[in-house]
Amino acid sequence: MSRMDHQRNAIGKPPIVTYNNVEKCYGDFTALNGVTAEVNRGEVVCLIGPSGSGKSTLLRCTNALEQINGGEIIFDGAPLPKGENNVRLVRRRMGMVFQSFELFPHMTAIENINCAPVTVLGMPKREAEELSYSLLKKVGLVEKAHSYPSMLSGGQQQRIAIARALAMGPEVMLFDEPTSALDPETVGEVLSVMSDLAGEGMTMIVVTHEMSFARRVSDWIMVFDKGRVIEEGRPDNIFKHPTEGRTKEFLRHVGVEV
Amino acid sequence: MNLDWSIVWEYRWAFLFGVMNTVLLAVVTMLVAIPGGIVIMLMRNSPVRALRGIATVYVETFRATPLILLVYWIFYVMPRFGVHLPPFLTGVVALSLIVSAYNSETFRAGVNSIRKGQSDAGLALGMSKWQLQVKVILPQALRRVLPAFSNTWVSLFKDTSLVSVIAVSELSYVSLQARAESFRIFEILTAMAAIYWCLGYPQAKLVDWLNRKYEVKE
Ligand SMILES: Nc1ncnc2c1ncn2[C@@H]1O[C@H](COP(=O)(O)OP(=O)(O)OP(=O)(O)O)[C@@H](O)[C@H]1O
Ligand SMILES: [Mg+2]
Repeated sequence: MSRMDHQRNAIGKPPIVTYNNVEKCYGDFTALNGVTAEVNRGEVVCLIGPSGSGKSTLLRCTNALEQINGGEIIFDGAPLPKGENNVRLVRRRMGMVFQSFELFPHMTAIENINCAPVTVLGMPKREAEELSYSLLKKVGLVEKAHSYPSMLSGGQQQRIAIARALAMGPEVMLFDEPTSALDPETVGEVLSVMSDLAGEGMTMIVVTHEMSFARRVSDWIMVFDKGRVIEEGRPDNIFKHPTEGRTKEFLRHVGVEV
Repeated sequence: MNLDWSIVWEYRWAFLFGVMNTVLLAVVTMLVAIPGGIVIMLMRNSPVRALRGIATVYVETFRATPLILLVYWIFYVMPRFGVHLPPFLTGVVALSLIVSAYNSETFRAGVNSIRKGQSDAGLALGMSKWQLQVKVILPQALRRVLPAFSNTWVSLFKDTSLVSVIAVSELSYVSLQARAESFRIFEILTAMAAIYWCLGYPQAKLVDWLNRKYEVKE
């Protein structure tokens, strides 16, 4: 472990999210069983591991959609606050992208994007529209500004969802299997938007089953199993020289030769 | 059969009065039954068990009660317990009790049909619970309940005729009175049907238009 930590510190970036022995239970089922990990500013961290190992749960605890039962999560130097108003202040600084897009179906693409800046940040409508257009350009969908989500393909919806999250100017982006619900032919366009984002230095925590993306884009990989991080390291190390038996098993299961 | 349509004209003021009472009855009932339905819906979705229980009993009771029975009950039985309501108010109370039960079920289905992912998405953007309801949940829920709600409204409009049994002077009652006085059964009943149709048809068209305009596609 110390070997890997040393390698990682060479990246030389301060932590933005720190998980200290985080526990999360649903009834008497333990979904997170003492997760200790760190995400540094500017890093792309991929969470991989078998179904039910707690990856989504960790993301949802990170922006307090779920309350943790033990340990602590530190965001930008302070533990996640209690109380709705303080939690909201933290959530504004994190963007989240869901497997099932969750665009608001009664709003057009551009309304989806400028809704939160206007209602939550009180941004003037004009300014929000300009921002939305620049984000639509970024995800390559300017011509779909006035389309409703139902008229867009899955890949297009997910790109709008990414733009919607970016509109709040987040410091961290949380992605929960952003391409798992997509037709194979639209996976690429979403991954390419995410790669661009990574290239711009956005901090990203990505739950994914796209191993080639994890390998190519991430700075750091955390392998989950049964509510714990069983192994973490640089992508090359994890994919070429996994140390844990369960990591090897998982990688073989998803078709990676180890 | 020799027809004398002038009889309808003779009774024009009676018909007009009846129409006004019918509309008033339906509108006042809905004005009570919308907030009523929302309150009962919130009670049924409440974490407090007692409130859920009360609301469930309420809904199951009034959905299953024939309106006419409720009208008779309030008008003839309640006075024995010292509650005397005039006919019009009796009609409003009976209709409101039943329509509130229907509305609460309609609204509940609408709110519960919005996926949890939608509130997660709103909250993750930093919305407050209030902003979430106003911007995300209610606009979708309202669109979803529009068809069912419109059906309730159209049924209510016609069901107001049942309160004629306690001599509330709405359209059915005045028509039946006119028929009894004039013995012109065909002309009067035809006029009555035509008036109900003229009132109901534009509403049905309006509802269709609203449904098309606000349809939520997923
Ligand atoms: N709201 C909930 N209530 C009860 N159990 C839950 C809830 N959410 C998650 N769990 C359980 O917690 C465990 C971890 O779930 P989680 O969604 O974090 O897994 P995951 O690693 O994201 O898996 P997947 O790859 O299938 O998405 C699972 O066993 C799941 O059944
Ligand atoms: Mg998951």
